[in-house]
Amino acid sequence: MTDASLPNGGAKSRHGSLTSVDARTKKRNTAEKRFRAYGVVAIATGILFLMVLLYAIITSGAGAFQQTFIKVPVYLDPAKLDKKGERNIDDIKKVSTFGYNPLIQNAVLKAVEDAGIETPLKKSKDMKALISASAAAQVRSSVIENPALIGQTVDFKFLASSRVDGYLKDRVKREDLARDKNIDAEHLDIVDGLMEAGVLKKTFNPAFIFGADASESRAEQAGIGVSMIGSFFMMLVVLFLALPIGVAASIYLEEFAPKNRWTDLIEVNISNLAAVPSIVFGILGLAVFIQFIHLPQSAPLVGGLVLTLMTLPTIIISTRASLKSVPPSIRDAALGVGASKMQSVFHHVLPLAAPGILTGTIIGLAQALGETAPLLLIGMVGYIASNAPDGIASGLLDPNSAMPAQIYEWAKRADPAYYERAWGGIIILLIFLVTMNTLAVFLRRRFERRW
Amino acid sequence: MYDAPNTLGDTVDQTETKISARNVQVFYGDNHAIKDVNVDIENKSVTAFIGPSGCGKSTFLRCINRMNDTIDICRVEGDILLDGEDICDKKVDPVQLRAKVGMVFQKPNPFPKSIYDNVAYGPRIHGLAKNKADLDEIVEKSLRRGAIWNEVKDRLHAPGTGLSGGQQQRLCIARAIATEPEVLLMDEPCSALDPIATAQVEELIDELRHQYALVIVTHSMQQAARVSQKTAFFHLGNLVEYGDTSQIFTNPKDERTESYITGRIG
Amino acid sequence: MSVFWLCMIVLAICVVGFLFGRTRALSSAAGEARQLHSLPNYYGWNVAMKVVVPAFGLMAVWLIAQPIVLESRVAGMIPQSEIKEGSSVGLVMAEVRRAASGLENAVASGALEAGLARDPEADPAMISERLKEAGQVVTAEITQTILQAAQAFSAMSATANWVMTVLVIAIALGAAAMAVRQSDKEYKARNAVEQGILALLIAAASVAILTTIGIVLSLIFNTAEFFRLYPALDFFTLLEWAPSFSGRGGTSQLGILPLLWGTLYISFIALLVAVPLGLFAAIYLSEYATPRVRGIAKPLLEILAGIPTIVYGLFALLTIGPMLVSVFGQDGLGWMSGGRAVMTAGIAMGIMLIPFVSSLSDDIINAVPQAMRDGSYGLGATQSETIKQVILPAALPGIVGAILLAASRAIGETMIVVMGAGAAARLSLNPFEAMTTVTAKIVSQLTGDSDFASPEALVAFALGISLFVITLGLNVFALYIVRKYREQYE
Repeated sequence: MTDASLPNGGAKSRHGSLTSVDARTKKRNTAEKRFRAYGVVAIATGILFLMVLLYAIITSGAGAFQQTFIKVPVYLDPAKLDKKGERNIDDIKKVSTFGYNPLIQNAVLKAVEDAGIETPLKKSKDMKALISASAAAQVRSSVIENPALIGQTVDFKFLASSRVDGYLKDRVKREDLARDKNIDAEHLDIVDGLMEAGVLKKTFNPAFIFGADASESRAEQAGIGVSMIGSFFMMLVVLFLALPIGVAASIYLEEFAPKNRWTDLIEVNISNLAAVPSIVFGILGLAVFIQFIHLPQSAPLVGGLVLTLMTLPTIIISTRASLKSVPPSIRDAALGVGASKMQSVFHHVLPLAAPGILTGTIIGLAQALGETAPLLLIGMVGYIASNAPDGIASGLLDPNSAMPAQIYEWAKRADPAYYERAWGGIIILLIFLVTMNTLAVFLRRRFERRW
Repeated sequence: MYDAPNTLGDTVDQTETKISARNVQVFYGDNHAIKDVNVDIENKSVTAFIGPSGCGKSTFLRCINRMNDTIDICRVEGDILLDGEDICDKKVDPVQLRAKVGMVFQKPNPFPKSIYDNVAYGPRIHGLAKNKADLDEIVEKSLRRGAIWNEVKDRLHAPGTGLSGGQQQRLCIARAIATEPEVLLMDEPCSALDPIATAQVEELIDELRHQYALVIVTHSMQQAARVSQKTAFFHLGNLVEYGDTSQIFTNPKDERTESYITGRIG
Repeated sequence: MSVFWLCMIVLAICVVGFLFGRTRALSSAAGEARQLHSLPNYYGWNVAMKVVVPAFGLMAVWLIAQPIVLESRVAGMIPQSEIKEGSSVGLVMAEVRRAASGLENAVASGALEAGLARDPEADPAMISERLKEAGQVVTAEITQTILQAAQAFSAMSATANWVMTVLVIAIALGAAAMAVRQSDKEYKARNAVEQGILALLIAAASVAILTTIGIVLSLIFNTAEFFRLYPALDFFTLLEWAPSFSGRGGTSQLGILPLLWGTLYISFIALLVAVPLGLFAAIYLSEYATPRVRGIAKPLLEILAGIPTIVYGLFALLTIGPMLVSVFGQDGLGWMSGGRAVMTAGIAMGIMLIPFVSSLSDDIINAVPQAMRDGSYGLGATQSETIKQVILPAALPGIVGAILLAASRAIGETMIVVMGAGAAARLSLNPFEAMTTVTAKIVSQLTGDSDFASPEALVAFALGISLFVITLGLNVFALYIVRKYREQYE
């Protein structure tokens, strides 16, 4: 049977000294090093991509938090603003923003002259390109608020136009001006002068974080605040629906479900839903919530419902994992003192699994917060939300946008000034995500039990 | 610390020291797993390492072909000489060493490949075959020596994982032989096998000792007595006693050895 | 009465029932809680549960069914002649609904007398004028028929609301009375409540099934509607995608093949980036890296997976696109005419998928038993030989599964392609050309201004169902492979 008597084919001659590495081994070791290098290169490339991405986000987006302002004293001419002189609020309201524009332009022109800037632009109309279109509304609303200001000279801090802002941020270059009909080189000379005079300054702009979106032509005015509120309400919906439903479903599947077809069907459904493209959930939201149930379009409630369905599998999977990690001895102990199965689960297992459930929920919420595609289909894009909602009901039902949808909307607009705002929006979005994920990691580290 | 080998059993044609270990220490992190072991292992004979679980016998075995290199926290000190060369030397490539010192593991671990590819794997990576016919010959020779040729010759391209446990282990032995080693280390090669398969593997071991220096770790004392010529008894990381198998089992010098083989400790 | 107040009433009945049930059970045991079968609160919860479930159940069913029933009855009132060319029953009904809610709001704000609003002979022109004055949205001219339909609609919903209110309160009270009578010391209240909770748990678990059903039904119905308007054969075989912009023209060419080509091409590029990088990263992390390196590199790579797709979209549009143009564009090699291209989207998507591939492969490589490695090292194989010839072949099915899962991700990805791939459907081999994908077209067809009932919009559902079937198929297949692979080593 065995054939051990065969001569051992020259083993001695083959194995040379161990201390000298033979040629073949050298070749093999080189191959080894090469292979190892591939791995290092792959990881380095991955991390490089991450760094490039973060670099792009930070360098392109940081500018959005700063904005150029022009501070000028404006003479609120009673002859223009209140012709009757009665300070009747209804009369004052009749003066539209067009009535205010000349006052502002005069004020800017005066500031230019005061600063002693030499310029061929002598008319107050020429100053229009420097100032944001929002300036008139700003003056008007403060006049309506306080009619006593009429006749006085009041200091105002206006947003500079997005071209001026772009010039200060190196986005608008002098050599490109020939193609730009919104601003001329002479304007930029004025800007340089005003900057020296301290009239024009680039400062931190809280309105970007807290403000509302603006129309296409007023990039300088747009902020992400209102869509942040939209995202907040969506997250409320997700939290209040996905958490209880997800936990209940997990408890059933993990603790009570008999092994039968129905349970199998649910399991298969959950694992498949986790992999359904998010856009399909958008189609579901459009067809079921908007067309069939007639919920309002663009409402955070609908967005929240869609995101809830999308997040459920994530929450169910992590909740089940943390329920599973509670050892059966705990259940047996509770059952042993005469608790019902339901009591043992709700009194003992669930509290022990709570940190894990919470962690999974936060990660699910973070995922939902960054999701964009389904929101496009239920109309949360393209809508300019100019006012913050004034209550829970309006927050849920009034049309609004959401942070990622707002970013997408800005990225679509033609004015490159909006790109900077899109990157800036991403910084804010990522700050939220990082915070949430850090919280999740912290909770896991702090409360995780090893049995 | 131990009785130096004096006379060798007449079962071996030739007495020649293949491996000699001097002051070998092994650490797992802070744990001192092997303490100051000195041993000479002879060529063309079977040396058995016995001892209670956790006594360090497998750890020491794995030092001999530097398998402990694959464990990050493991550190080996002292000298192990193979044919007079220190294998722990920095210049020694473990890859070359392992081609010379083959190993068979506790659980049969055929690769998820065909029987043929399992055996051909070693010769291929070491470049032992010039061509296909050469390789075929090596495979057949190794399978014959592994005492499994007759059972698998009709299905060389069936997966190795489809064999029975005993066949898998003999396949693994054949696989180890195929690289033409000089020393064959076996780490409890029969612990996962049934008695019939065990008998077959033991018979094979007995055949193989004519060609190789075999070192076998076992915790079956009967097995040690059946297959080995020399026996080393390890306890708590110490080599307690080393000598002819017949002497160890009939007339142990150390109290601990006696306690172990009579079943008082273990 | 508004739904809100109705809910409040039911909840009030529920609270009172809770107290009554608890008290009655206690008094049946002469105040000795120990004599009761269950803790006193369970009796209260038993009553509360039995009030809330039927009352809210009826309300929910009623609220969903009412508009459907009413609309079908009102729709019957509208003669065929009223439906203009280019319009549909749905559009007219939307008009009716708008008019009805306008009338109600106008009456509520006092801009319109209640009698006038209900007068079927009222002058439609005058009514719509008044509605506009009251600040109500009136898009089209209100005709006599629409006015009458709206009035009927309002009247019927008012009646239906009253019937619902009465029924719901009656059921709540009846259920409360019955449940309170049950509250006796012998009654197994805890078991009843636990049964209720269990039912709730089952319902929660079934949401997953409902979601799937919802997805499938909404896709199937709308796709069927699309195939009624547009030949299915053309959809699956035409090599052209050219929707007409007029809205309702029959001249649209709606073939899925160019979109599918774009989708697969971009996914292919993405996998070309992600698979080698992800796989080698996984091999290095699981086989070579020290715990320290692994502890740093793995979370860093996984950050890439946590970044929302909108960020990758923007990155593609504003960073990768211009970068590629500077090399391959007019000033460079001249292969690329714009920033949006298959390459742009593919690279961004590939970066996104690196951690997906690497962490899945990492799991799979780690599942290969250590004995395989030992066996190979014991024969004198180097680490790379072991990986290439033992570990990877052993892990191959699992890795294929992981790649398929990544492919399914790539195919279903939306934001990156919407922003980075372009809008033109094209069957071309040049990866520097703009192409478009199934997902991008779903977005563009459903977010435009086109009429929802037109084939140009409905085609999105047919695209959606194709996408759903493809990704689901890939997933089921991939999970099957991965599971088979895991079983092999368990």
